[in-house]
Amino acid sequence: MAAIELEGLTKDYGEVLANDDVTFAVEEGEIFGYLGPNGAGKTTTIRTLLGLLSPTAGTARLLGNDVTDEAQLLAAKRRLGYLPDDPGFDETATGRAVLDLHASLKGDERSAELLELFDPPLDREIREYSRGNVQKLGLVTTFMHDPDLVILDEPTSGLDPLLQQRFNEFVRAERERGLTVFFSSHILSEVRKLCDRVGIIRDGRLVTVEPVESLLDRSGKFVRLHAAEAIPVDALEIDGVHGIESDTGPSDGTEYAFTFTGDVNALLAALREYRLHDLSIEEAPLDEVFMRFYDDSDGDEPNGADLAVGPGAAGGGVDDV
Amino acid sequence: MFELTAYDGRRRIRGSVYLSIGLSLLAAMVVWVYPSFEAEIDLEGLLAAYPEPILQVMGVQTMTSLAGFLSFELYTFGWIIMLGLYLAYSTAGTIADDVDRGRMDVLLAMPISRRRLVAERFGAMAVPIVGANLLPPLVVYVGAELIDHPIPAADVLAVHLLSIPYLFACAGIGLLASVIVDRAAIAQRVALGVTFALFLSESLLSGTDAEVVGAIAPMRYYDPNAVLLEGNYDLLGAGILVAMTAVLLAASQLWFGRRDV
Repeated sequence: MAAIELEGLTKDYGEVLANDDVTFAVEEGEIFGYLGPNGAGKTTTIRTLLGLLSPTAGTARLLGNDVTDEAQLLAAKRRLGYLPDDPGFDETATGRAVLDLHASLKGDERSAELLELFDPPLDREIREYSRGNVQKLGLVTTFMHDPDLVILDEPTSGLDPLLQQRFNEFVRAERERGLTVFFSSHILSEVRKLCDRVGIIRDGRLVTVEPVESLLDRSGKFVRLHAAEAIPVDALEIDGVHGIESDTGPSDGTEYAFTFTGDVNALLAALREYRLHDLSIEEAPLDEVFMRFYDDSDGDEPNGADLAVGPGAAGGGVDDV
Repeated sequence: MFELTAYDGRRRIRGSVYLSIGLSLLAAMVVWVYPSFEAEIDLEGLLAAYPEPILQVMGVQTMTSLAGFLSFELYTFGWIIMLGLYLAYSTAGTIADDVDRGRMDVLLAMPISRRRLVAERFGAMAVPIVGANLLPPLVVYVGAELIDHPIPAADVLAVHLLSIPYLFACAGIGLLASVIVDRAAIAQRVALGVTFALFLSESLLSGTDAEVVGAIAPMRYYDPNAVLLEGNYDLLGAGILVAMTAVLLAASQLWFGRRDV
């Protein structure tokens, strides 16, 4: 049984179609990343899954329970942990009072252990908390009843790098214990560190669901090279070079920047005969990934049409170079 | 069960203690000024000088006894108007403020149904409602004894006990506003406006052809004058207030159960 199943999920606000026919499943025991730019509809999907919003069309199941049926939803929520985008707690309550309330409503199996990892100042009132402390308290309340499934909306926002790393290690260890994790993010590097599979949403539509490795292969590299002399344009017409930009700039030589989805060896072979000052090949930023593969501004094709082709063929965007 | 009520209730205790003390001070002041008021002012003449509608709105029947004086100075102003509005206002902030400030997502992700959440939040309003009625009756009773205008203990007790269903009904108006409007500030204004309009409709329209409109106002079913001046305890009225509260609560649960949060 899948931990989360969405079938044709649609949420129509009238002027905005926040989710449009979203269908995917999250298997038990996996870490699933839900990736998309801000405003893509990630939170709408999550809030529908939690029964906070009723879908305009389609169905959503949490741990096998239909979320539009209140009794089933309650059964699912006993086994669920949820950390919202910007968790809201009573401003005038202390962290401890909040934990006590959560413990009384859903049980407390492991808050002591969690408080060693994420240590919000429990005796202070929430209104004195920094964003990071609110997030820490949120993480403790999310995991304290030892849920089978957790849904995290942008979980690392507000955490400093050290805590982010601690969070990543914690989530991986939980996965080993059989926990299913569904989390949303707009940061690719965060998703790639943790996820087994990734679903990408844009403008309310699910663009693709695939293993994180293939997404990274597909997303291409960002190449920046600084040549001592200008390189003829046709020399850079290699499979997989997109959106090349050059700049003669104030320094000597010429700088080039482009996205590259082809074979790195082919690129290096082509560059061998030129004298370079510098060359860097980096993972493409998420914006770049979206621009390249999921932008629907360049035609009438539905989103994701590019995805039907493999990584090699994706590089054959002939009009790019 | 009642975990949320217990949590909310605890958080309302301090405010309710202050409320009770404040109302006790008001009660003490009203009782304390009565002897000089009675001695120095021609009460019958004063009453005659007021236009009838004003007396009607203020619930003034007589000022020639402490009971009549308390009835409008303390119970009409303090309880029917002030506390009634306060509870409508305060309850209107419960659900709407949770939604407004993003706390509702955290609450509803826990295994608690929406109906139960509404009922438990509402139940916690018992703390200010009962709390407001704990200290003042003692002050009124003892104060009346001290100035030598005794009021029967049963009447003092009854006027406070009967105010409890009344205040719950006012809170129910606030609750309904709170689930329908999801901006707390607006829900609170709506609750204040509706409660005050109901008060006016009851007090201004009584005795006119439109009197029937006031039948939906909780104020019709709680009459401090009848209790303190005639020793008449309107249990039917209290029953109607309880029913009114139940209907408001059920409607709020139904509405909140169906809407998007």
